[in-house]
Amino acid sequence: MNVRRESLAGRMWTARWSYAYALPMMALLLVFIVYPIAASLGYTLYKWNGIGDPTDFVGLDNFRRIIDDSIFWGALKHTFLYVAIVVPVQLFLALGLALVLNQKKLRFASFYRTVFFLPVVTSAAVIGVVIQLLFSNFGDVINNILRDLHLIDGYVDWLGDPRFAMGIIIVVGIWHTLGYNLIYFLAGLQTIPEDLYEAAKLDGAGKFAQFRYITVPMLRSVGIVILLLALVGSFQVFDMVQVLTNGGPYFATEVVNTYIYHLAFGGTGDVDPDVGLASAASFFYGILLIALSVVQVVVLRSLVRRRAAK
Amino acid sequence: MSSVATTSVPPLSRPAASAPVPARPRRRKPRAAMVMTHVALVVSGLAWMYPFLWTLGSSLKDTDEFFGRGLNPLPEQLLWSNYQQAWEQASFGTYFLNTLLITIGTCVGTLLVTAMAGYVLARAPFPGRGIFLFLISATLFLPHGYTIIPIFDLMEKLGLLNSLFSIIIVQAAGGVVFGTFLFMGYFQTIDSELEDAAKVDGASFHQTFWRIMLPLSGPMLATVGLFTAISAWNSYFIPLVFTLARPEQRTLSVGMYAFIGENSTQWTLLCAGSIITLVPIIALFVMLQRFFVNGLAGAIKG
Repeated sequence: MNVRRESLAGRMWTARWSYAYALPMMALLLVFIVYPIAASLGYTLYKWNGIGDPTDFVGLDNFRRIIDDSIFWGALKHTFLYVAIVVPVQLFLALGLALVLNQKKLRFASFYRTVFFLPVVTSAAVIGVVIQLLFSNFGDVINNILRDLHLIDGYVDWLGDPRFAMGIIIVVGIWHTLGYNLIYFLAGLQTIPEDLYEAAKLDGAGKFAQFRYITVPMLRSVGIVILLLALVGSFQVFDMVQVLTNGGPYFATEVVNTYIYHLAFGGTGDVDPDVGLASAASFFYGILLIALSVVQVVVLRSLVRRRAAK
Repeated sequence: MSSVATTSVPPLSRPAASAPVPARPRRRKPRAAMVMTHVALVVSGLAWMYPFLWTLGSSLKDTDEFFGRGLNPLPEQLLWSNYQQAWEQASFGTYFLNTLLITIGTCVGTLLVTAMAGYVLARAPFPGRGIFLFLISATLFLPHGYTIIPIFDLMEKLGLLNSLFSIIIVQAAGGVVFGTFLFMGYFQTIDSELEDAAKVDGASFHQTFWRIMLPLSGPMLATVGLFTAISAWNSYFIPLVFTLARPEQRTLSVGMYAFIGENSTQWTLLCAGSIITLVPIIALFVMLQRFFVNGLAGAIKG
């Protein structure tokens, strides 16, 4: 007992500089990430407009209100729709593009890479301004073209129309963050040793066989990380919706994060800010996401195991 | 002649026509495929870049032309004075300087903190490392957006509100988890021989890190630096909340929306402001992109 404790203390003393080096990171994490999360867990029990200290204790009522709120479930539906379209389309396009750009013989590959990466380095603020300018001032031009083609009749207010607003957000979302996935896939492709392909060629494997039996299996573990990052990012979609539609028209594009934002800071209409309610919504959403990722991990594991068993 | 033959009955005539001279088509086919690839890439690349090209063109138009030319990105004449006006009258000069200071501060802070933490997690294990890693990973899944309120309260109590420093420290904190993971992955791949040799030569813990390991992590410094710079340069929400009472401390993103509120008609200046916002970060990406992909590949290998 005593010996073990001493040896732990001894090991800790030996590793004292490791702790010192990790300390600044730990401090930032505790003060600016862990503490705020813990503090908002406390807020979930109060009705509080964010000014002064919370005093109006309401227990678990905030959670009940969220579960009863149809706008929350609508926002959840929009978020899932966004994820369900953006993630597969984006990963498919990014992988295809990465395979094209990874060819040794392709000239100007780094130039093309830069072109397709550019939207990533662009702030949501700039994209919001530019897309709004394009649609609000020149939506007529697009309308006229489509009317001439007899695809629509009458005038469409693109970002103000519930039928089209979410679609535009999804397309812009794919465009905006595809570059990250492209770079990740390119980095993943670089880790595949060249001699594997050489050996396959000598054995007479074609381009498709090389892709199927070398690229896919070698990219699998990186691919799962890319998929997870894309999922985490898409479930937290906020900026693009905020700058393009602010969740409107009539909550048609409200996603969970804009919903939480509107609860916390007062949003459309004359809704009073309620930080307690917003915190409750956030925690509820966080728990849903964690539950989902646990399910994901379990499913992935069982798939891998079944494959290994074969 | 052969083109006529191939278009009329392509599947059959092609092998027949190429049979007498097998070397030529085999050489030409990849080249033709390459040309097609370039054509496809250039066309889709132009479409991909269209919003940027339109913004660049519009930043040089006058107001009449802006509405008159619609979706055509090309300006009739180049009105460079838009940039001067945006820089001076619309305060984009001040916003630029603020954004630059915040970005540099955030990058230096994030790089120091995450390189040190990533190093000890990868190379100098300590009791409690597992708990530490678990805690870090768990924070990745929790939504952070709303936590701005407790952070705001905290900054107010510390008397740091309305300073560029508050924005720097909050943004640096937001990026430490991802950066630490990347550095950890990268340091794990570095051969231990150098480190062992340094220890044999009597190098201290600090010397090993600062003189040997940190200089070896150049590609990862570039990668994490670039990620941090992109998010710091573009971030909107944190600077918005922390500069509500201080318009002179606004960043470019915040200033752009303030500009819309205050001057609802000067779209060409807004386009000039957008280009001012875009150019530095694009330039940084072009400079660092070589290290960027290699750095990520290095981290993935580990």
